[in-house]
Amino acid sequence: MTIPGPYVIIGLPLVAAGVLILLRRWTLITAWVATAIAAMLALLITLVPQGAPYTFTQWTIALDEPIYILGRMLVIEPVDRLPLTFIFFTAAVLYLVAWRLLPRSSFFPVGTAVTGLLSAALMVEQVVYAALLVEMAAILGVLPLHEPITSRDGTHYGGTTKGGLQYITYTMLALPGLMVTQLLLEQYALFPGDQSLLRTATILMGLSFAILLGAVPFQSWLSTVATDGTPPVVTFLFTVNLGTVWFILLAYLESYTWLSAQTFFGPLFVTVGLIMMVVGGTLAASQRKLGRIVGYATLVDNGAMLIALGTRQVAGLSLALMLLVARPFALGLMTLGLDGLRRLTSRGEGDVADLRGAGWIAPWRTLAYIMGGIALAGFPISLSFSARWGIYQVLAEKELFQAILALLGSSGVMMGLVSSLRVLLMPVDSTSNKDREKEDPVVLFLILALISVIVVLGIFPQPVSNIAFEMANAFTFIGQ
Amino acid sequence: MNLFVVWLNQLSEWMGAPAAWGIFIAGALIYIVAEWRIRYLAMIVQFLFIGVMFLRVFDSRPEMALMKIMVGWLISAALMVSARIRENTLDDKFRFRWARNLPFRVLTLAAVTVIVYLASRTFTLPFVSADVGLACFLLLVLAILFFGTEEQDPAIVGVGVLNLLAALDMFYSAQEPGLLVSGMLAVVSLLAGLACSYLTVTEVQS
Repeated sequence: MTIPGPYVIIGLPLVAAGVLILLRRWTLITAWVATAIAAMLALLITLVPQGAPYTFTQWTIALDEPIYILGRMLVIEPVDRLPLTFIFFTAAVLYLVAWRLLPRSSFFPVGTAVTGLLSAALMVEQVVYAALLVEMAAILGVLPLHEPITSRDGTHYGGTTKGGLQYITYTMLALPGLMVTQLLLEQYALFPGDQSLLRTATILMGLSFAILLGAVPFQSWLSTVATDGTPPVVTFLFTVNLGTVWFILLAYLESYTWLSAQTFFGPLFVTVGLIMMVVGGTLAASQRKLGRIVGYATLVDNGAMLIALGTRQVAGLSLALMLLVARPFALGLMTLGLDGLRRLTSRGEGDVADLRGAGWIAPWRTLAYIMGGIALAGFPISLSFSARWGIYQVLAEKELFQAILALLGSSGVMMGLVSSLRVLLMPVDSTSNKDREKEDPVVLFLILALISVIVVLGIFPQPVSNIAFEMANAFTFIGQ
Repeated sequence: MNLFVVWLNQLSEWMGAPAAWGIFIAGALIYIVAEWRIRYLAMIVQFLFIGVMFLRVFDSRPEMALMKIMVGWLISAALMVSARIRENTLDDKFRFRWARNLPFRVLTLAAVTVIVYLASRTFTLPFVSADVGLACFLLLVLAILFFGTEEQDPAIVGVGVLNLLAALDMFYSAQEPGLLVSGMLAVVSLLAGLACSYLTVTEVQS
């Protein structure tokens, strides 16, 4: 029996999510089943060659075979393979990270359902359906973001829900633009001479993606989500959800080549990216909450990716993709650190002022937060450093001032990290009754594993850069 | 045909612009009154008017308008239950109260009423009748007001999201009357309602 690929890639996570929600109280089972499903799908997409079906006993999975739902085609194009692998692989890593941090959480079933919806968004051709599927995934993602959770050590997560509300609001505000764009594109197909339709579609699409990616001045949701949300879920939203938005943007640019062919495309992307890096860096440097630094570091990273895209070179696009691949490792590590450090503060908000000397109480968590932060800021030794360095070089070739601005943006994140570290490493108050925390061996193993991956990929970035370059080559809009 | 659908059809024939203003008045009530019982009663009325407006969009398929009303009422019920749980947890007794900064809110509502009325006369939305266009503008403005002034209240943000989706649904369905988009928008509305009612309860528990 032959099963078309989309049924497996979309259907399996959705069905599994339904089962996992029933098994929620057994964290070990839900976490590992969610990890296994995500890893299995990532491997299936990576290992099964293009055009060749995969046979398992009497079942044959034809990955390239399309399916039709009410006349709308869903198909895994060759260019969708890496984004799908990225989604499932990242999700698998994050489920493992969350296993010890979020007992009895709905994150595992909800995350599994979200990966299914986002996969569908990547496979469907029309803008409007992709936008609606991303919207559904965003709303579902809010459920575990503010879930009240009592961790293994008895500390409590939860509190203000402002982050989730802002996330829902902003993604909702992006929806009309994307839906109306679809209408305008259909009208443009009928009246190709009407340039005003094109102009309006470009503005609406640009505005919608700016909101979805948290570009300045729509950046507030990034920092609020990072401050209020549960760290592993925040990481999931900033990597899997935001990653999908990036890939959908690339898919649109590929489908509507006139968009990137417009003369203002490159300068606009570079300018917006630079503003994001400078604003993000400045705000990160002055932050007193650890979560906010994560949010602004992500803003800087998104800015760097926009700049890379704005260069309109294959090298630039591959650098952007390298940054995207590097982000889950850096953010995952930061999450492990942030989770432990936030538990030490009185209200769980991760205020630096409450964390005086925390570096001596929770040294591994501090190391994880700082190492992850350095990687996300694009400083050595990390995979992001190789990519950021490439971006500075590409910018410097055209204008040195822009490269310096980009570097300053990244340095702002580093300044925020250094000033946090200064407080974290202050001598512990002699009256404090906090003892050095005994680290969960599994968390310790994950911290060491992620640090190793970041350092090794930082020293040997070639395998990732080769994959990114290969993928960038698949996008034809860059050369036009 | 369902009796309720027949009644709705008759209602929509003589209620066009009045239904649009009914949506706005119900929204304004949610905006200026802080008591949840009155807010959700207003929400139920607002969704009835939204359904009447949908009848003008789906004139050949009135059951679609009925579905929109049902979805709206279902979400209203979910939000109402959450508000009740919140009230019980906080041991908050029933007493009528206006929302904070009432003069500011009334002034804002007066200003947006004028702006929306003028905007709907100046910018004509394509492929929709004047009253549906007016309803779209009014719903959009209400959504922005809810997002802007009550950004920390999950229930009110939820109402804002639903108003925005209703405006978008009306406008989009008039351009492309496909079932799939309308159905997916209903699912998005249900999910948004679920998320907001969940957040309302979660915040109190925490």
